[in-house]
Amino acid sequence: MSRNEYIPFLSRIQKVIRHTKIEYTFRMTYKGEVKPGQFFEVSIPKYGEAPISVSGIGEDYVDLTIRKVGVVTNEIFENQEGQSLYMRGPYGNGFDPADYRGKELIVVAGGTGVSPVKGIIDYFGNHPEEVKALHVIAGFKSPKDILFREDIARWENQMELIVTVDASDEPGYRTGLVTKYIPDLQVSDIKSAAGIVVGPPVMMKFAAAELLKKGMSEEQIWISQERKMCCGLGKCGHCRMGSTYICLDGPVFNYTAGKALID
Amino acid sequence: MDINTKKAKKNAFRISKERGITASRVRVPGGKCTADVLEQVAAIAKKYGNGSVHLTTRQGFEIEGISLDNMAEVNQMLQPIIEELGINQAEKGTGYASSGTRNVSACIGNRVCPFGNYNTAAFAKRIEEAIFPNDLHFKIALTGCANDCIKARMHDFGIIGMTVPQYDPNRCVSCGACVKGCDQLSVNALRKENFKIVRNEEKCVGCGVCVTKCPTRAWTRSEKKYYRLTIMGRTGKKNPRLGEDFLIWTDEDTIIKVILNTYRFVEKYIDPTAPGGKEHIGYIIDRVGFQEYKKWALDGVELLPETIVKDNIYWSGIHYR
Amino acid sequence: MGRLLNEKAADALMERLQEQYDVFAPRLFPGTGCYSDTDVVRYGQISSLSEIVWDKKSEYSFKETLLPISDTVFYFTEDEVKVPDAPRKRRLIFLRSCELCALKRLDGIYLKNGFADSYYERIREQADFVWMCCEESFASCFCASMGTNRPEQYEAFARFTDGKLYLEAEKGLLKELLEECGQDGFGEEASLNAVYPEENQEKIEIPESLPEDMASHELWKEYAGRCIGCGRCNFVCPTCTCFTMQDIFYKDNPKAGERRRVWASCQVDGYSDIAGGISFRKNQGERMRFKVLHKISDFKKRFGYTMCVGCGRCEDVCPEYISYLACIRKVNQAAKEARTNEQK
Repeated sequence: MSRNEYIPFLSRIQKVIRHTKIEYTFRMTYKGEVKPGQFFEVSIPKYGEAPISVSGIGEDYVDLTIRKVGVVTNEIFENQEGQSLYMRGPYGNGFDPADYRGKELIVVAGGTGVSPVKGIIDYFGNHPEEVKALHVIAGFKSPKDILFREDIARWENQMELIVTVDASDEPGYRTGLVTKYIPDLQVSDIKSAAGIVVGPPVMMKFAAAELLKKGMSEEQIWISQERKMCCGLGKCGHCRMGSTYICLDGPVFNYTAGKALID
Repeated sequence: MDINTKKAKKNAFRISKERGITASRVRVPGGKCTADVLEQVAAIAKKYGNGSVHLTTRQGFEIEGISLDNMAEVNQMLQPIIEELGINQAEKGTGYASSGTRNVSACIGNRVCPFGNYNTAAFAKRIEEAIFPNDLHFKIALTGCANDCIKARMHDFGIIGMTVPQYDPNRCVSCGACVKGCDQLSVNALRKENFKIVRNEEKCVGCGVCVTKCPTRAWTRSEKKYYRLTIMGRTGKKNPRLGEDFLIWTDEDTIIKVILNTYRFVEKYIDPTAPGGKEHIGYIIDRVGFQEYKKWALDGVELLPETIVKDNIYWSGIHYR
Repeated sequence: MGRLLNEKAADALMERLQEQYDVFAPRLFPGTGCYSDTDVVRYGQISSLSEIVWDKKSEYSFKETLLPISDTVFYFTEDEVKVPDAPRKRRLIFLRSCELCALKRLDGIYLKNGFADSYYERIREQADFVWMCCEESFASCFCASMGTNRPEQYEAFARFTDGKLYLEAEKGLLKELLEECGQDGFGEEASLNAVYPEENQEKIEIPESLPEDMASHELWKEYAGRCIGCGRCNFVCPTCTCFTMQDIFYKDNPKAGERRRVWASCQVDGYSDIAGGISFRKNQGERMRFKVLHKISDFKKRFGYTMCVGCGRCEDVCPEYISYLACIRKVNQAAKEARTNEQK
């Protein structure tokens, strides 16, 4: 008899990091193999499950950055340090650092799209010797929507970092879409570089187009897709695009495959 | 020309505005007839009429332009129609007995219409058999669902088909089609709770839209067919008005008993001095009072436990006198 | 060799069957149709073999005997979750060839696409199947075109001819019980062939390959105005397997509740909605394309065989008279045109 994959385990909340009013990172106790970009189904019985991507990985924890936008996530936000949430996973393929090792890496991320790549930014930020250079462009709607401020402060010293907001009333912020900053990136050899683009569907399309314009080929670009998932196990069908199941085959795709996916 | 007009009228012939010319009135219970009946009506119209046939509002044919001299021949030709439609008749070959009680009309019902909750023509036929022929002025109409396409509420008795929606939560996929359907097409009596559907039983009019919309057979119709009986709607000069609910969630047997009881009530209370001996039931009830009528109407009637009986009824409408 | 059973013999067999099995078959559910005074033939537990409906195709497929429409994944209280017990008895399921072929598709998703699904698996392992031979094809069937008019494999088959039930089993419990019936003098020994329709009135050609721009083809647009998104086509389909998770709590004890999975339809609003108000395929034309291309192409790319088994149930059930067959014919035409243009 196969293991019942639907049964969640309880995981203690080690820490809650509040980024914005509606975006918190929950540091969840978890010991086991996990990759950045993979996801867990986080649940509160009575309210339901939500797929949440891993935004950080530690010895005995995973960070799950959650946006409060629905019934389940509203309820998750009611929980404090020391309390527990149900989880199952990790699911999906995630980002494999091996794909980017030894290369110049450009990461372009927008909004909550920063979460799935944060692990990979952290990894190469902490292991700068493993990449030739690391360029990160992170875009948010407005200053109050900026996530991971503590991490961003650290990243400033670890990589070439551009944080931009679509528009700002406050001074001191770069403004404009992430795509605006791609052409000016100083990349030593675009042909051997690698790109990761994660964000809303339209943003990914235009950011990838900018990278291609810069001379990258499709094989050099990775994206991560977000779709409705009820199981994370290739059963419920909601995340299917053509013959691809985002939960099993993704959510991370090389752009050659990812661009061909049709909703 | 010597014609007993009263007799002619009783025999379903009209005294028309043109001297010597009548029209034969062929009533079709429940509005359901075969194409054969149509052909026979056509044959009469061609042979004795002027080729023209009027479709009456009460679902009959009025074969126009017949000479009063030909009533007997027309009655002969009507015989197969009468037999095919199963009309009550005292003597064969004598044509229709017209009556104060009008043709029991019906919408097409569940023979064809997806919304129909019962076979309207079959029930109309049952009522016809119970009450015809009768001189008292009764109008009865049956409609398949709460849409009331036949305008049953403009009748002395309006019979509106209902079903008690049966819900099997195990077959429900929470698609929301019933909730949307009930909101858009009916009375918004459904809501989702805990991913399943809750029906507001007081609000529900039993139209069955939820059942027709359900893609998984979570909603089905009750085995028993139910009816809403509305009473004393009318048109006319003095006080046209819509019928009001009398019994809700009632059954066929009860309706027939109530109608028969109403005949007895009218026989008792009709104004003997009324012109032509005709007084409409609605006006009698207005005169005698609803409580007295109700006593008569429900006499010996065993209501279903689920039937709602209105304590009192207040009709509105327009008062011209 | 099998046994030919009259009603009495069939009852004797059923008595034995019911000691071992819950028996499921297409049967009549009187008065439960969408419309007043209409019946539905669908799968349900039977208590007599004479309840099996042979002369009509069931409106809903057999899949609900393995995948309940609404299935409890676990019950929860404040601090624990409990998986409901598996059905106690084995299941014997009478089904048509198209459905036996659909079983392979269900297995594909539930046992092979990633982890094996333990809920499906535990019922599946407890199920035996009897192929109900179609003496004749029904109106909308196109199993012969799909190669599903006869099952790839079967352990037992049944025929209904001249008012008698013929049953033959290669092995297993049913074979034993049939032999027992023989020893006890019920029914007659006989040897009938398994039959299947060699061809159907409806014939269809599934394109080998589709043009790259098939998804954006004009032909999908008409469905945007025609489809009402009710999902009936998915719910009756023996190969549609999607579900949605639901958490519910008990009104009388809000601390307890259950997590369920419930059939889902890619045609119904909400199927692709994700948090934050984003939804994909808002238009019914796109949803039709998503479904049809899965049935005839996308599934095959993943599993190596076509998903659709040609049962025609979606064709029969659509309240808007959207013909899946007509759609495939249009797709096929588009594929042909694309190939011709390529050659030019």
